[in-house]
Amino acid sequence: MADQANFERDALQYSRQLYSAAMRMARNPADAEDLVQETFLKAYRAYDTFQEGTNLKAWLYRILTNTFINKYRKDSRRPSEVDLGDVEDLYLYRRLGSEDTADASRTTEDRVLDRLVESDIKAAVEELPENFRMPVLLADLEGFSYKEIAEILDIPIGTVMSRLHRGRKAMQKRLWEFASQRGLVPEDAERP
Amino acid sequence: MTHNCQDAQGQLYQYIDSELDETTASRIRGHLDDCSGCMDSFEFERRLKVVIRRCLTEDMPESLEAKVKELIRHETL
Repeated sequence: MADQANFERDALQYSRQLYSAAMRMARNPADAEDLVQETFLKAYRAYDTFQEGTNLKAWLYRILTNTFINKYRKDSRRPSEVDLGDVEDLYLYRRLGSEDTADASRTTEDRVLDRLVESDIKAAVEELPENFRMPVLLADLEGFSYKEIAEILDIPIGTVMSRLHRGRKAMQKRLWEFASQRGLVPEDAERP
Repeated sequence: MTHNCQDAQGQLYQYIDSELDETTASRIRGHLDDCSGCMDSFEFERRLKVVIRRCLTEDMPESLEAKVKELIRHETL
């Protein structure tokens, strides 16, 4: 069992990461701050139930996601499925990544970055229905393993994998739409 | 697309998320060494994941950690 006296030292090192995830959940800084504060307060109160030596970061994320779901979910009628229509695998890559560029020294990342805007990436994540957004955040932002995500969200590992896959596809579709709207993609790439 | 390409593409995300056992991962690595098409697409997805991670990382307001400490100390009283 963990000692509350060590809570600040052990847990607060994750505050920056928790805040980044909280921003994409709550979608605004004020609610994200509240969410992080409430998460740490709950974690502190329950710290004597935390098994020392187990995964503290995952434990904190479990509290964060549960707190968000219970408190900040404002509209349960939001769609919980992503409409993928005819979105195939490698959706963005087929449109952006395989282009021949005049300058061969340009890396793939440059080519991707040229056409993706930070605010669009944030928006694409925030638009995902919650049950898809959480696995994407936990995997792509935090680098949790599928097993850890399954434990944090209390869903089977197969569900983690399918939601992650579908969530990423839906994001790619949205990113392509944003890039097209901004005129960041060559016209001939729009009809692959 | 060959059978090996399909095998690799089917496990793309597990590969870039480091979720495969070593035997499977090294089989896919072997295919990527031989197949520039697959290598290109895997590299794209890997880089995209890096870009997404960077874009989603926020600067935390400096006051937040102090607020959390204050809450915890208040709780201790």
